[in-house]
Amino acid sequence: MTATYRAYMRPFIRLFTGRLREAPAVLRRGPLRTDAFSSRLHDPRVASLLGMWLGVAFGVCFLTGLVSHAMQHPPSWLVWPSRPVSLYRLTQGLHVTTGLACVPLLLAKLWTVYPRLWEWPPVRSVAHALERLSIVPLVAGAVFQLATGIANIAQWYRFRFFFTVTHYWVAWITIGALGVHIAAKLAVVRANVGRRRGERSRLTDRVSAPEQPGGGLSRRGLAVAVASAAGVIVTTTAGQWVPGLSGLDLLAPRRPDIGPQRLPVNRTAAAARVTAVARAAGYRLEVVGPRPFALTLAGLRGFPQHTSRLPITCVEGWAADATWHGLRLRDLLDAAGIPAEATVRVESLEAGGAYRTSEVNPAHARDPLTLLATGLNGADLDIDHGYPARLIAPNRPGVLQTKWVHRVVML
Amino acid sequence: MNGQAQADQADRRDHNGRHRAVRAVTTAVLRGGPAAAGLAAIGYGVHGLVGMRSATNPPNAAQWLVGGILVHDLLVVPVTMAVGLVLTRLVPAPFRAVLQGALLISGAVALASLPLWRGYGGPADNPSVNPLPYGRNLAIVLGLVWACATAVIAVRAVRAVRVRRARRSHASACGPPAG
Ligand code: HEM
Repeated sequence: MTATYRAYMRPFIRLFTGRLREAPAVLRRGPLRTDAFSSRLHDPRVASLLGMWLGVAFGVCFLTGLVSHAMQHPPSWLVWPSRPVSLYRLTQGLHVTTGLACVPLLLAKLWTVYPRLWEWPPVRSVAHALERLSIVPLVAGAVFQLATGIANIAQWYRFRFFFTVTHYWVAWITIGALGVHIAAKLAVVRANVGRRRGERSRLTDRVSAPEQPGGGLSRRGLAVAVASAAGVIVTTTAGQWVPGLSGLDLLAPRRPDIGPQRLPVNRTAAAARVTAVARAAGYRLEVVGPRPFALTLAGLRGFPQHTSRLPITCVEGWAADATWHGLRLRDLLDAAGIPAEATVRVESLEAGGAYRTSEVNPAHARDPLTLLATGLNGADLDIDHGYPARLIAPNRPGVLQTKWVHRVVML
Repeated sequence: MNGQAQADQADRRDHNGRHRAVRAVTTAVLRGGPAAAGLAAIGYGVHGLVGMRSATNPPNAAQWLVGGILVHDLLVVPVTMAVGLVLTRLVPAPFRAVLQGALLISGAVALASLPLWRGYGGPADNPSVNPLPYGRNLAIVLGLVWACATAVIAVRAVRAVRVRRARRSHASACGPPAG
């Protein structure tokens, strides 16, 4: 059975792995020479170890990215919970921090394998050509994700595509190329990593050579430098979302206590063009359900008031705690006769834009912490924080904490 | 060869064959699984990227994708190599590694915060975006990095002097009389 199978497969295997004719040797010049790259850091064991770290880091970024995507575009089968309160703060904080820490990891990894770009012969077989081809989406995707991510958190929009959508699709390409890459390099990793790697050294011809003496950075030195670089980056940026570390926040785009009422703002009232309507005397909050009603500003204050300590957790990776006060969303819904299992839509005074409205599922709408807030940190809401009223709910990205709310509609 | 030995050998062959088959299947699953899933994910990503043209602007996205590779392979690496070459000429052995490490850290930290200390980005009407004095902060962070590097260099220099002195006194005690 195995023998006939093998006989059947042989032509296909030969098609893929048969050696192609070698390119003429006169072309072998410059970086294509055998000894063109002398650094002792160009080594398969170093590449394998850095690759494993990079694989873990990209895996974390991909999974936390999927969480963020699912929260903003929930598939029908997913009910995102309102607890734990800071789950999204954790996943999105990790996403951005891990991505930033990938900068030294990726640069070092690419340095260790750079001579492979000038490998001779350029292609040995069809399989080898395909494997090399799969490196293109891998490197392009990895560099793209880090570069656009760094630009986006600084709100530096030099690209002419919509960031979240493009970053999402390129993430699939990158993680897919990483899967292919791991499959292609598994033998090299096994021959170079692990206590029993010696027994596996015949799996491949890419086996680490003993380190030559030299005056430059050693392999261990490279590991120390890469770990230090990642450590410095994490230490000086994680304070934008980790409670208690904001004093170390020196190189992140946000500081949790800087902004109107000591809280950062993502979209100002001026940018959203709501300054005049939000301050208009005729403001009414409409609640649309079985028993619809409308409230004036005074009416809002007439409802039972509550206080919630909740963070704003931004998709851009920062999070800031604040004390909110206002009325419980569920009290409003009850007053309008909206049933407990209903989803509602919260609408802003904005005339348009992707985040004019947001949907609130029952888990969030009925959570006692969820407020239609009118006050922040002991004063009325600043216009940039959503005056006269905004949504604030636990475990939800900031872009869905709709500001300048004027309608709540049962769906 | 008696019957028992023959049976043993056949048994072993059988066992080896089965062992090999198990290994082949394991490899196929370990490598084929990620490879197939990976190809599917690439296909899904490309499909999404070209399917939502108005949001992803494929020509511009492609420019950034290809640009990333080109900038890295034809600019970042050659520049790093040139810096390495200059360091090899200028800086002696035990200190060069420290310098290279400190440069790597500085470069990575500066790159990860590039738009901030360059003053790129952030809407003019929102002072809570990029609110810090990033040039000064980068100087503080890199100042600390280089202070550590200097300390390591100093330790290495002291050690090198000690070794040289020990060698010299060893040589004068045991070496042949000079002149
Ligand atoms: C974003 C992630 C990664 C990028 C951008 C990347 C990039 C590269 C590139 C460009 C090469 C040279 C390709 C060639 O040999 O033609 C390479 C080789 C290699 N990679 Fe990765 N890699 C990544 C992740 C990983 C992971 C997760 C692993 C292991 C689990 C890994 C292990 C290896 C190994 C063993 C080699 C071969 C080194 C040699 O033969 O000297 N890489 N990588």
